[in-house]
Amino acid sequence: MELPVLNEKPKGGCSASSCGSSDDQLNHLSDEIRAKVQNHPCYSEDAHHYFARMHVAVAPACNIQCHYCNRKYDCANESRPGVVSELLTPNQAVKKTMAVAANIPQMTVLGIAGPGDPLANPERTFETFRRLSEEAPDIKLCVSTNGLALPDAVEELSKHNIDHVTITINCVDPKIGAKIYPWIFWKNKRIKGEKAAKILIEQQQKGLEMLVAKGILVKVNSVMIPGVNDKHLAEVSKIVKSKGAFLHNVMPLIAEAEHGTFYGVMGQRSPTALELQELQDECSGDMNMMRHCRQCRADAVGMLGEDRGDEFTLDKIEDMEIDYQAAMEKRKVIHQAIEAEMNSKRAAKVEVKAEKLNTRPVLMAVATSGQHVINVHFGHAKEFLIYEASPEGVRFISHRKVDQYCEGDTSCGDGESVLQRTIRTLEGCEAVLCSKIGYEPWEMLENAGVMPNGEHAMEDIETAVMAVYNEMASAGKLDEVQQRATA
Amino acid sequence: MALKIIESCVNCFACEPLCPSKAIYEAKPHFLIDAKKCTECVGDFDVPQCASICPIEGAILDALNVPLNPAGSLTGIPPEKMAEAMAELQAH
Repeated sequence: MELPVLNEKPKGGCSASSCGSSDDQLNHLSDEIRAKVQNHPCYSEDAHHYFARMHVAVAPACNIQCHYCNRKYDCANESRPGVVSELLTPNQAVKKTMAVAANIPQMTVLGIAGPGDPLANPERTFETFRRLSEEAPDIKLCVSTNGLALPDAVEELSKHNIDHVTITINCVDPKIGAKIYPWIFWKNKRIKGEKAAKILIEQQQKGLEMLVAKGILVKVNSVMIPGVNDKHLAEVSKIVKSKGAFLHNVMPLIAEAEHGTFYGVMGQRSPTALELQELQDECSGDMNMMRHCRQCRADAVGMLGEDRGDEFTLDKIEDMEIDYQAAMEKRKVIHQAIEAEMNSKRAAKVEVKAEKLNTRPVLMAVATSGQHVINVHFGHAKEFLIYEASPEGVRFISHRKVDQYCEGDTSCGDGESVLQRTIRTLEGCEAVLCSKIGYEPWEMLENAGVMPNGEHAMEDIETAVMAVYNEMASAGKLDEVQQRATA
Repeated sequence: MALKIIESCVNCFACEPLCPSKAIYEAKPHFLIDAKKCTECVGDFDVPQCASICPIEGAILDALNVPLNPAGSLTGIPPEKMAEAMAELQAH
């Protein structure tokens, strides 16, 4: 069973995107692009359960400053904040990549995302790509950039095995840009204010156009900053789509005072999960949205949302002997088996339908560790997958992380317990499906207007979500428009 | 006349390739400037290159030990606001 993501809100009736063969966000793409990305764990909600990716931290320098970043740590946008990666030389990066590829055959994608800007470190970045294109040709390569140095790098990028580039574009208006980027380094000078933002924006847009002209896939990342660019990102989405970006990933700002970033120290708030989802919905009319991004660290290794980096530290890979030719044979067999499994699951997918056709849509949260079943205890959930059930069917909306940066202590210092925080992340949801749930959270959830449900443990997610939806419908809960639950 | 990199350097490599005099070199625990080679970019650029890309306030000093990028000049965070936030965190 897959996690369907439909790009347009069902408008009643049966639109092409809400039923039939439409399975996930990739169905809006041309066959050519879909063939390129269907096994990419970052681009396909489906593939990320089967394939893994890794990042190597070879690019420490940056040519701009973002207000959500503190250069004492990794980039808070492309990586988790407050974390320093083990910086690798290109040689170490190649060795690490091949060691991981041999040991985790599901690893299909190698990305360079930092900890600075990969294209501000052209020698280190391109040396890594050049060698991997030659020595490990079965690995897809991708790169993330702020775009400032992108136009000068397009020619070189097109020579390697790179078919995906991610550009972080937070604005197309220099006035807004000046509130996000305090400075850029450009033509041997540090430039500030709107002038700097204008140059950065022009370079990003030019780079996007040049990549599209070369046939290189472009994904656009945007950081949603309430009060700064939240109202502006729908326009960004429209523009980058019209220029040929194939996917837009709107991510929530991460800002905490302890990260020492401008936004963190100045008290800029992050968007709520619901605000993020509403913006993603607003953009999705114009653009394919990416909804399952987990905001990985610049040195993440493994399946999306997990990090096996500790198994592949420098001293450990030093001792590994890798026969890559043999590994490549093995990888090929495993990839074929995974693809066969994915295809058979796609073919076996049953349309899940509601019984009653005039009821309103409902958001539900699901505690799962994957495998498309409800299998996590409410109290153990590190994230919830959010689904929307409606008469048109069940669609995957997003994931919401809980307890992101609060560990050990049961209180977060502001008087809010972990449980209260968890419940707050479920804002907008009317039910939460989990394998089990304790008495205390049950009561708190009910008080917050979220109905806990532990009756569908180990069942298929979509079937269970639809069953709960139908129960709500028969109980007459969905006939009138209700206020969304606010915790 | 020479500039100096001090311990707040985060080893990001950004300055090293920009130096017209090849005075900057990788060292432990942080990058250093060879005072004999550094010209402060006089004759090559209007502004010292290392200090123009360095993202860390206070990490590069001039010959009089004055930071070329004083606190608040790069991040835009007023120093008193930063002190306040840090004191708040210390209290926890």
